[in-house]
Amino acid sequence: MTNGIQGGIRPRSYKAGSIIYFEGDKSEYVYILKTGRVLLTYVKIDTGEEVKEEVRQGEFFGVKSALGKYPREETAQTIGETVVLVLTLGDFERMILRNVNVVRKMLRVFSNQLRRIGKTVRTVLGESENVNPDLELFRIGEHYFKAGDFNKATYAFKKYLEYYPGTEYARIAMERIKTISSGGPVPSGGGGSDDLGDFSMESDSDDMFTFDEAPAPKAQAAPKPAVSTKTEPAIASEFSSEMDDFLSDDNSIDDFGDFDLDSEPSSAPSGLKARFDEGESLFKRQNFPGALEIFQGILDGGEPAKTGDSKYFVDSHYYAGVCYYEMKKFKESMNLFAEIIKNRGDSEKYKGAVFYAGQIFEAAGQKDKAITYYNKVLNITPNDSLNGMALDKIKALQRGR
Amino acid sequence: MLELDEKFFGRFGVEYSPNQIIFCEYEPGYEFYFIQKGKVRIVKIINDREKTIDVLGPGDVFGEMAILEEQPRSATVIAIDNVRVLKFHRDNFDALLAGNPQLAYKLLLIFSKRIYDQKRRLMILLLEEPSVKVMDVLIMLAEQNQQFDFEGEITLNTTARQVASWAGMAESEAQKELTHLARVDKIDLFEDRIVVKNIRDFQRVVTSRRKNLYS
Repeated sequence: MTNGIQGGIRPRSYKAGSIIYFEGDKSEYVYILKTGRVLLTYVKIDTGEEVKEEVRQGEFFGVKSALGKYPREETAQTIGETVVLVLTLGDFERMILRNVNVVRKMLRVFSNQLRRIGKTVRTVLGESENVNPDLELFRIGEHYFKAGDFNKATYAFKKYLEYYPGTEYARIAMERIKTISSGGPVPSGGGGSDDLGDFSMESDSDDMFTFDEAPAPKAQAAPKPAVSTKTEPAIASEFSSEMDDFLSDDNSIDDFGDFDLDSEPSSAPSGLKARFDEGESLFKRQNFPGALEIFQGILDGGEPAKTGDSKYFVDSHYYAGVCYYEMKKFKESMNLFAEIIKNRGDSEKYKGAVFYAGQIFEAAGQKDKAITYYNKVLNITPNDSLNGMALDKIKALQRGR
Repeated sequence: MLELDEKFFGRFGVEYSPNQIIFCEYEPGYEFYFIQKGKVRIVKIINDREKTIDVLGPGDVFGEMAILEEQPRSATVIAIDNVRVLKFHRDNFDALLAGNPQLAYKLLLIFSKRIYDQKRRLMILLLEEPSVKVMDVLIMLAEQNQQFDFEGEITLNTTARQVASWAGMAESEAQKELTHLARVDKIDLFEDRIVVKNIRDFQRVVTSRRKNLYS
């Protein structure tokens, strides 16, 4: 900041028709019109139209460019004999520090200008002018809701309810918030493709998931474009925030108590494989609760010390997740798949976990979200049978049910 | 920088965790914020896509339009990392100004600069040809550094992505234009910087195109 100790505000006299400064000049002086007349001439940047504005006595001019240290945007010319006060930035600062009202006034002028320019910029960028703020606020909630970014969606919906209660969309906003805070899906029936026959969903039996199917206020958005250019770690990190959102609410782990595991302390490494094989065998016989007990036991043992065993540990997440999925415990299931997606991006079960995440969202009736995840499956190499399944899922969802 | 930090933090300080919304576009708003720690993203939902317009960090102000205008927020602000801000309600503004006149001065500086930056950006966007837009972005970036000698080579620490964002075009399109300029030896392209051989050339082209816009 200029300290301007040398200050001392000087009056300066001009003859008629003098130029105080030209457009494009650089200077750090601020002026106040004392007597006489000053005309500011500038060209509007969007229309090229020349505009003339007269400064009123007692008014500042040349403030913005001096403060911003950029070239003058207008030419200042006197009409008749004129006296102006010339202020350095230091003078100016000291003066306004003593006069808060002047600052208020200037800020109001500036903020008006800023908003006007912002509006023009948005028009040029092709953004439509907002029709009405309440609907737009709701739409932002919808955007994040569909993107599965539930914390942000909740924020927008709550604000909507706060400011626009009693509107038509308030009801939907309320339902959305309930949907999000219930944290779990309602199975919407159907869904297994042939290969997934094992995992087909039975009728809705779980009343803890109460997803309301509120109509969207506008046409369903197309699924997010595939994230094909992203590398896998990027995908994983993108997932992570969504996962947290999905899991963020009353995500009690008490349920694990049901299984009443006499926690075998993580036994010898060789034992791990044996237990895993046993779990897998139960799993293949579709004894999901039995398999789950074993896989959960492996998980409770924590990360195995021997690196060779780490695969069994990660795969146990996956199989336990599938077991939970089969048992329609979607939140628990999602927890486990989320662990793989977030932290085990190199696992061969990664792609399967993403696919299951899609299925869970589909079961939750979150069509767009499910499509997003199926889309992600398509972008994970190598191209395998999951690709076909994901594609079929997307097509079915886009046809709309 | 603003020197009211510690004293005011107790009363006006608010913290946000990563990815948390500080306020949302179209939400009515009556507070403005000074960033003390961390970074925030300014985003807008455009055609159902979230677009980052700006990233602000310590010392920056946002939400300042709310001080004087009854208008909904014009963008959403989201914490990037752990963010600490001073949050002031417009009703406290007078008291705040009276007690901290340097804050008033700082706000004027911020507004002045922001108005200019926005106008400058608008001037770029109003140009018709993509190639000229890209040139004007490079000129604008050069103008931002007062140390530059416009008669010599100028090194700009920028990328095709940033140029695209300023010019309101797709990154691939900006890349195409930049590659062309490099091929005709007007610039050198590096991963993290662009060297402009003769910025006066670009100024001449842009000035003449801009004149034609209105004629």
